Amino acid sequence: MSTTPAQRKPADYKSDLKPIWCPGCGDYGVLASLYRAFAELDLDPTNTVVVSGIGCSSRLPGFVTTYGVHTLHGRPLPVAMGVKLANPELNVVAVGGDGDGFAIGAGHFPHAARRNVDITYIVMDNEIYGLTKGQVSPTSLTDQKAPSTPWGNLETPLNTLGFAVASNASFVARGASFNTKALTELMVQAIEHKGFSFIDAMSPCVMFNNTQETWKELVTDVDPNHNSADRVAAFDLALRGGFKMGILYREVRPTLNEKYAALIERTPNSDVGAMLESFSAAKGAAIGKPTV
Amino acid sequence: MARQSVVIRLAGESGEGVISSGDILTQAAARGGYWTQTFRTYPAEIRGGPCMYQVRMGQDRIYSHGKEVDLLVCFNQEAWDLHHDSLAADGVVLYDETSVAIPDEYRERARPVRMEQLAKEIGGSSRAKNMVAAGAVCGVIAFDTTPIEELVTVRYAHKAGVADANLAALQAGKDEAADLTGVMEITHAAEVEEDRVLMSGNQAIALGAVAAGLEYFAGYPITPASDILEWLSAKLPATGGITIQCEDEIASLASVIGASYAGAKAATATSGPGLSLMSELLGYAGMAEIPCVIIDAQRGGPSTGLPTKTEQSDLQHALYGGHGESPRVVIAPITVEDCFWATVDAFNYAERFQVPVIILTDQGLATRMEVITAPDLSKVEQWQRKTAKDVEGRAKRYELTDDGISPMGLPGEPNGQYVATGIEHDEWGHPAYTPEVHTVMQHKRWSKLDPLTNGAARHEYYGEAEPDIAVIGFGSTYGPVREGVDMARADGLSVGAFYPRVLGPFPVEKVREFTSKASRTIVPEINYTGQLARLVRGEVGISVDSRAKSDGLPFTAEDIYEMITEAAQ
Repeated sequence: MSTTPAQRKPADYKSDLKPIWCPGCGDYGVLASLYRAFAELDLDPTNTVVVSGIGCSSRLPGFVTTYGVHTLHGRPLPVAMGVKLANPELNVVAVGGDGDGFAIGAGHFPHAARRNVDITYIVMDNEIYGLTKGQVSPTSLTDQKAPSTPWGNLETPLNTLGFAVASNASFVARGASFNTKALTELMVQAIEHKGFSFIDAMSPCVMFNNTQETWKELVTDVDPNHNSADRVAAFDLALRGGFKMGILYREVRPTLNEKYAALIERTPNSDVGAMLESFSAAKGAAIGKPTV
Repeated sequence: MARQSVVIRLAGESGEGVISSGDILTQAAARGGYWTQTFRTYPAEIRGGPCMYQVRMGQDRIYSHGKEVDLLVCFNQEAWDLHHDSLAADGVVLYDETSVAIPDEYRERARPVRMEQLAKEIGGSSRAKNMVAAGAVCGVIAFDTTPIEELVTVRYAHKAGVADANLAALQAGKDEAADLTGVMEITHAAEVEEDRVLMSGNQAIALGAVAAGLEYFAGYPITPASDILEWLSAKLPATGGITIQCEDEIASLASVIGASYAGAKAATATSGPGLSLMSELLGYAGMAEIPCVIIDAQRGGPSTGLPTKTEQSDLQHALYGGHGESPRVVIAPITVEDCFWATVDAFNYAERFQVPVIILTDQGLATRMEVITAPDLSKVEQWQRKTAKDVEGRAKRYELTDDGISPMGLPGEPNGQYVATGIEHDEWGHPAYTPEVHTVMQHKRWSKLDPLTNGAARHEYYGEAEPDIAVIGFGSTYGPVREGVDMARADGLSVGAFYPRVLGPFPVEKVREFTSKASRTIVPEINYTGQLARLVRGEVGISVDSRAKSDGLPFTAEDIYEMITEAAQ
């Protein structure tokens, strides 16, 4: 991105609303990275829509000067798909937490991914339900003690990156709130990517699951020799776990918008008058399946 | 003497040709200039199980499917067992002798038709059974088969052998019941001067949506609403629109809300189970004031219920379903023709009032085929949403205005940015939970619908405007009620029917006026608890007699006539 004199600055995307997050929350780092990524891409706020679900992190659209949709718990992806399909010119970014995206909203994730809806989905993953005060989430560790698992979590955490690769997401990456430089760069690439891009943004909850110091020690970058065009290698990397930061997988294939545009292009034009005519009683209206 | 109308019922095992025979007769009747209405019952399973296809055709406009059967065609023994009770006193029976035994007392007016055998002889398989059956029916009602021959010729234009076999099967069928030719003769159809179309309620809704400017449709397969998804999947791309099959009903409505947020006219279609899943989003659309249209083709409930049977049991769910109190408009079309116009109204209400609008049909109305006057497309008006484009300076998305309608910034409009949210919010859309904000915003969201109870909604009256015996119903029961009212008025009774097309917000004053001189008010509806009756009692504060039934079948005109007669005593 070449810088022009008119280029927007991160502050241009900052709304008047103050974030409601706790001091030290990882989501500040994700938000700061998003401001910077938007500025680096010089996105027009009037042509950009940030869509979220419900949870601490899902309050993010209010802190941005773009258009925004604060939807229901678990529903940012289908709402974002509707926005993008209705107006392909828009930049659409969906955000939310791990509970929003991988518990209540998990049913939408594989479909947004396999359809290759041209949106970016950033999950602020803190492995906990913060807004409801600390219950386990689908990404919480086994044996983790929390208000709803006083004897320890009996379940195995969801492998979000593996889920994304298996679902045919065309861009899969991991970043962290405590490394805003790298996260900003991932966001820039994810937004520029044509298709469904997913970033698992590790974003510690300082109040109920303060993993920040542990995570800082655990993270390592994806091996520079990793072939991000190789889906099997990406799945392998995802299944091996650990905290690999960077782009695991990237593939260019037609987006859902492009497929609809092509479908509309090859469909002969018609209008409601012609459609009404096809039901004409005198001409022998067709009963049964519509003809194409 | 020739009859004004006849009721033909075909019955047999699903997959045997019952449906295709019915389709052929319906198309032929429509093409031949008759008014027609069909009624089908079928099992929920794809193969096997009893199915029935009833065609009522006549010279005058048909409003209901008819009760007594003039001509019963039995494809198997079960068909006879299930349906002979419905025969009119002089009703005629056609049956396949190889599989059906008819009691002696019916032999006079019953004729064997070798459907299976002739189909095999002529076409080499049992596929032409439907044509043999159709031919036999045409003979008995003295219906000129030219329309069928034309349809066959057009359909199999490139398969001469198939066309010939079908025509031969048709003739063979006619010959089979030759000695009954004309015993159920139907009056010749008058010359048709207006444009008429033959369509189902679902198709009329889909077409109405296109006429209203539909740009985005999302759906999930569900009986009996899938036709809408399928029809629009085939047709909408031709107008530049998008139809998508989603992963569930939640995603369907969520994406519709997203598309509408971006400025598109958007809709989804479902049945009761899907409406249940959509409830939370319905509340969201009301709270965030996002226009959208939800079609609910009701079916028998509760739970999975009776997927292929009719019921009007989602009324209260449509009106009040969901937590909190979220505004929406509920509109119930009364005929197939009205399915078209109600859909146009639904989109216009959605855009005008920035609310979700639910169109309530039911299995009976959604799937029946009906000949209707072709909608005059020049009468279709499209309401344009109030956006931020005419606002000077920064638009307040939820601005408190005199009519409660605020400018809705559309992405791309430079002064309209806001965050749509289900959290209580101030005029800017910022989260705000103070007592003052919630009070004033709830009032704003509900009172913006006032025009609908002050003249903007169209309702339907039939018979006397201020009757002694008042009938109030909604949706698909209009047809039989209309015919039942006619029968009662012919007896000299003072009867009228009122059909609120917009049920939410409820037209309290209209009902009050309509019932002002009534000694009895009866409320027929197809559900168990009498939801409309409860609504009228609660909203209007008058006493009414519920005539609810929940057998999964539509009312007949005779049912309504009996109710009225009983009420008059």
